[in-house]
Amino acid sequence: MAMIKKLKEKFSKLIAKKDKFKVKPKENKLNKSAASYENSKKTIPGAQETAVANTKFSHPEGLRQGRAALEELPYGYDHDKIVLQVRDPRWIHAYWEIRNQTLDSLKASLRDDFHRARRVLRVYDVSNINFNGKNANSFFDIQINEFANSWYIDTNGPGRSWCVDLGLMLPDGRFITILRSNVVQTPLDGPSWITDEEWMIPDDMFARLYGMGFGLGKSSPVGKAWTERLRQEIFSSGVSSSPVRKALKERSFWMRVDCELIVYGATEADAKVTVQGQPVNLRPDGTFTLRYYLPDGKQVIPVKAVSADKLEERTITPTVTRETR
Amino acid sequence: MHKGYLCLVLHGHLPFVRHPEHENFLEEDWLYEAITETYVPLISVFEGLCRDNIDFRITMTLSPTLISMLSDSLLQERYLKHINKLIELSQKEIERTKWQPEFKKLALMYFDRFSLARDTFLTYNRNLVMAFKKFQDLGKLEIITCGATHGFFPLMDVCRDSVRAQVQVASRHYESVFGRRPRGIWLPECGFCPGHDEILKEAGIRFFFTDSHGVLHGSPRPKYGVFAPVYCKGTGVACFGRDLESSKQVWSSIEGYPGDYNYREFYRDIGFDLEFDYIRDYIHPDGVRINTGIKYYRITGTGNNKEAYVPEWARDRAASHAGNFMFNRQKQVDYLYNLMKKKPMIISPYDAELFGHWWYEGPMWLDFLFRKVACDQDEIRMITPSEYLEENPRNQVITPSLSSWGYKGYSEMWLQGTNDWIYKHLHMASNRMSELANSHPRAGGLLLRALNQALRELLLAQSSDWAFILGTGTHTSYAVRRTKDHLLRFTKLYEEIKANAIDESWLADIEYKDNLFPGIDYKAHSGC
Repeated sequence: MAMIKKLKEKFSKLIAKKDKFKVKPKENKLNKSAASYENSKKTIPGAQETAVANTKFSHPEGLRQGRAALEELPYGYDHDKIVLQVRDPRWIHAYWEIRNQTLDSLKASLRDDFHRARRVLRVYDVSNINFNGKNANSFFDIQINEFANSWYIDTNGPGRSWCVDLGLMLPDGRFITILRSNVVQTPLDGPSWITDEEWMIPDDMFARLYGMGFGLGKSSPVGKAWTERLRQEIFSSGVSSSPVRKALKERSFWMRVDCELIVYGATEADAKVTVQGQPVNLRPDGTFTLRYYLPDGKQVIPVKAVSADKLEERTITPTVTRETR
Repeated sequence: MHKGYLCLVLHGHLPFVRHPEHENFLEEDWLYEAITETYVPLISVFEGLCRDNIDFRITMTLSPTLISMLSDSLLQERYLKHINKLIELSQKEIERTKWQPEFKKLALMYFDRFSLARDTFLTYNRNLVMAFKKFQDLGKLEIITCGATHGFFPLMDVCRDSVRAQVQVASRHYESVFGRRPRGIWLPECGFCPGHDEILKEAGIRFFFTDSHGVLHGSPRPKYGVFAPVYCKGTGVACFGRDLESSKQVWSSIEGYPGDYNYREFYRDIGFDLEFDYIRDYIHPDGVRINTGIKYYRITGTGNNKEAYVPEWARDRAASHAGNFMFNRQKQVDYLYNLMKKKPMIISPYDAELFGHWWYEGPMWLDFLFRKVACDQDEIRMITPSEYLEENPRNQVITPSLSSWGYKGYSEMWLQGTNDWIYKHLHMASNRMSELANSHPRAGGLLLRALNQALRELLLAQSSDWAFILGTGTHTSYAVRRTKDHLLRFTKLYEEIKANAIDESWLADIEYKDNLFPGIDYKAHSGC
């Protein structure tokens, strides 16, 4: 378990690093490193990949005016449809659309019952069967409001098949299906219990390989501890139906001050000029500008111009001292 | 005698970003940065190895959108302009840092580096894809394909015609570029859903990769874990599972190499650090500060204080990290060989832009690693998946599990509160595309152009990159815009085709803007 703890620390630093560059570009901040590395305590598979992938997309936006206003996508497509997708071994997502005509005809046939009915998602476990609407292994209901058009469903059932009806629960307990979804299968959240006959695997060997597969070397704990660990990591987001990650706010006040020196001047356009002994290119009108980072200390800067016929010369020597306290 | 194999995989991808309608477009910088910081340095490493007769093997994805951008003449022209500006800036920096010798040295380093990027770019006639093709033809590099526009397949499972189109368009595009069909694919975001192996098989693809749990949680249990590929039940397409130990060694920010205090700091760039008037010619014309690629500091420590980068120290660290990586693989292979009584295969995949863009010393580290593996040991052999399968054709048959290498290992990165609204539109467009393809078995002329463009627009809308950016929850406006633009263009085409009223001048305009996959065939979406 000490290994796991260590790993978790490693990850949390990485995640903190990722948060570093969530800067508000409009403020034109110069420095993003807030130096707070003690953020998230969770070990999350894929967090590193997310962090690196994000650096591919540098996003300094802000000045987007002048671009044509967007046309909008339609709210719906005037059809009756519910679609189910798998988010992870435990959660599935449903979105749906019901046509007004469909609701109107239900209203007409159910009359008052329609308004007293509750809108419900009925989630069927249809693992290993050919579902006909009546033969589900089990089901549970989720009450939703009539304005919802999507839902995250906690099945608590990895490695199972699911189908969802959107329907009405009438006061007398009758359930009326409005829409039926496609069938999806959640993945297992651990190793399969099926070991095929031809390739019988000694359990201890698999356990060691499994441990190494997750990068913890030969002494890694296996079996129950592993399943537990995965469960905590992947499902620690709690019971929220709309799991959106939030960036943690950090205190990150900062300031930076630097100095540069601009040396500029003018002479005859065909003269030769050197600054600290190094030749300088003149503009066609005989002017020149040089710009330097100015470190602490004293800089003596002899600027020398020699006429084209080499008969005359002038030297002017500014001396600049920077002292930062 | 060697006891095991090491398979390095770099996944190279960027979404299609090309805006001929704007003279400057910020997001096009994603490509220019990747060329300068990742792709040119990798090519230089491969060239050096070939020059010194060092045998090496590496596997790389070049996604179809990345290939399309690298070979696009407008973007090539713009890159040349971009790199010329950078060379100019580095020259100014050499002067400005005159009284700061430790920085002046770095300014000179960037001047050399940018000049090398321009030279390499011009040497390959502006098309870097040809450089990679050269190393593939030499047998050192295996280039694999990807989804046509990097659509996340598990969330397209309800419209498998679209998964098929992503795979078919990609493999034909690959063939037109490299002169043969692709043998392998990097599933976008490593996202595998059982059953999609059938679609790969149809396209003649022999192998793909999953994250560790894709294989480990497959059924029946994989006898050798992730250390030998498995064949998918029913199709025989090979699946290689990722080794997390070697991945973490590179990724993790503490023991992981890129976090070393001597390495270059990614977040301190002169585009943000220097005085506005001086830098304004090299940032966005709107005055928005951006990264220029010139960065003077080393990571130094965890605090705000950063010190100057010292290239020699970083180089030493890269060499010792390469040695450490090899040592750990030797130990790993030795242990596994005794356990398995068979040579293990270690699969180490990384995002290509980890090397050079994020981890500045990454390409150098790779160079050291290749040289050490070739010269200093004989326990590990570097290999490509195709070579492995040639030598080890007998493998276990299982059904790998739904999985991805994204946040939390499944689909949540692309399916959460901030991006789940896109799917009702994407799925609707998929169904409409199938309808169009099936109802027009033989189209020609203007109709053919409209149908082909409809498929381009659908594919572009499906890029997982938009959902990814929406999922991070910050700076989302470009991703929202791209998702909507392509869906709206698709819908307009769908309606015009149905009404037999195709607006030719508008069609010509979007053909000119979204010009990728010139040889696309809309029938790739017809489901057979």
